Amino acid sequence: MTKELNLDPRTKLIIVLCLSTLGIAIKDLVLLSIVFLLSFMVASLFKANLKRTVRKIKSLLYTLILIALVQSIFTRGESLISIGSITILTADGVEKALQFILRMAIVIFSATIIGTSSSRSIIQGLVQWRLPYDIAFMVALGIRFLPMIRDEIKDSLVAIQLRGIDIKNIPVKERISLYSYLFNPLLIGAILKAERLSIAMEMRGFRAYGNRTSFLVLKFNNWDYIVMFLSIVITFLFFIKGYI
Amino acid sequence: MHYIELKEIDFEYEKGNKVFENFSFSVDRYETVALMGPNGSGKTTLGKLMAGILKPNKGQVLIFNKDTNEIPLHEIGSRIGYLFQNPEKQFFANTVYDELGFVLKIKGYDEEYIKNKVGEMLELFQLKGLEKHLPYLLSQGEKQRLAIAAVLINEPEYLILDEPTTGLDKKRKDILFELLNMLKNRGIGMTIISHDNRFVERICNRRIYINRGEIQHDERA
Repeated sequence: MTKELNLDPRTKLIIVLCLSTLGIAIKDLVLLSIVFLLSFMVASLFKANLKRTVRKIKSLLYTLILIALVQSIFTRGESLISIGSITILTADGVEKALQFILRMAIVIFSATIIGTSSSRSIIQGLVQWRLPYDIAFMVALGIRFLPMIRDEIKDSLVAIQLRGIDIKNIPVKERISLYSYLFNPLLIGAILKAERLSIAMEMRGFRAYGNRTSFLVLKFNNWDYIVMFLSIVITFLFFIKGYI
Repeated sequence: MHYIELKEIDFEYEKGNKVFENFSFSVDRYETVALMGPNGSGKTTLGKLMAGILKPNKGQVLIFNKDTNEIPLHEIGSRIGYLFQNPEKQFFANTVYDELGFVLKIKGYDEEYIKNKVGEMLELFQLKGLEKHLPYLLSQGEKQRLAIAAVLINEPEYLILDEPTTGLDKKRKDILFELLNMLKNRGIGMTIISHDNRFVERICNRRIYINRGEIQHDERA
């Protein structure tokens, strides 16, 4: 059984930064696969919700494949599939497509590591890194708003179906207007929520004083230093060895 | 055959935190059922399971004798009207008029019919003059009335109403009571989830009290 790693959120941010940098900068497919495995293993060590992430990737699969195909079609190189004189797929194109899919997977899996810390501790981490509290709070709010918007889209789709409408089988014209219907209330709803939230924050004394104190103060332990050191050194090694 | 039947279901939102365990329950087509119980007792979850919005982790939920895992939501929605606890959750149109009329338009009704039907609902729920307003910007009571009107405009054969009296003043509660009573007399069954005991006792002939995912009392008048 894996034991959950209890590290400072700032350490997790460094790990994610290193993994994402490697994922974006490396071009070699084998190295990219190694970084992907590393992201997967680190996320498992932190007990990130990998099942949910895999489900999310599944729902993005068609988009990823489409983008990968477009990339592979428009890349010149040794022809793999062609119709007459027109090259459809090249070896370089397939390589680029695989690179793209691996990169996306690295970014998504490494991002799950941050999700293992609470938003409050992430804000505190950013504040202790001297980021102004207002900005750190806005980042956390932004993170909080995204799943809310997703849930609202889901709710609206459920509400429409509960009125007896089969979304999949309505004429294209109506379907387009249906989606435009969904977008406007969503936007207005988000603005209204933001407005209510800002009023609630003001009522609770947000920014009433210049300096804020916090009950929660984060402290690095030895493991944090070791993990941060290793993450940064490994990333630099990739650069120095010329893999990037 | 029951209209809605839950057979030995388990349901949990999070792993290891069961809301219902081995829970069985059924309602008949013409019954008017009140679901009562404290906050967090599982009333809304039960309503959503009954409407097929949520699916059980174990067991079966049968609506008109079909498993909810096998019937698409729109098929349930064309026969059962579901009112969300938070009316905002069910709004998707830009104006009050469209909120009521859009579904009829998609279903192919002509403009004249839609205009009359929407007008009827606006009149009944005292929403006249608000046709062009954005549903999100209405007062709480107006939102609640619009949400109920949007459910009823579909003429469902069964209703599941989650806290329909929230935000309504006495006068409008009375109007709602009259309306639901009229629907009841027309043979439309309903399950009303509510904390408003006086309201549901006036209208429902079966009262169910649930707590921590278990039925504590099931009384028939």
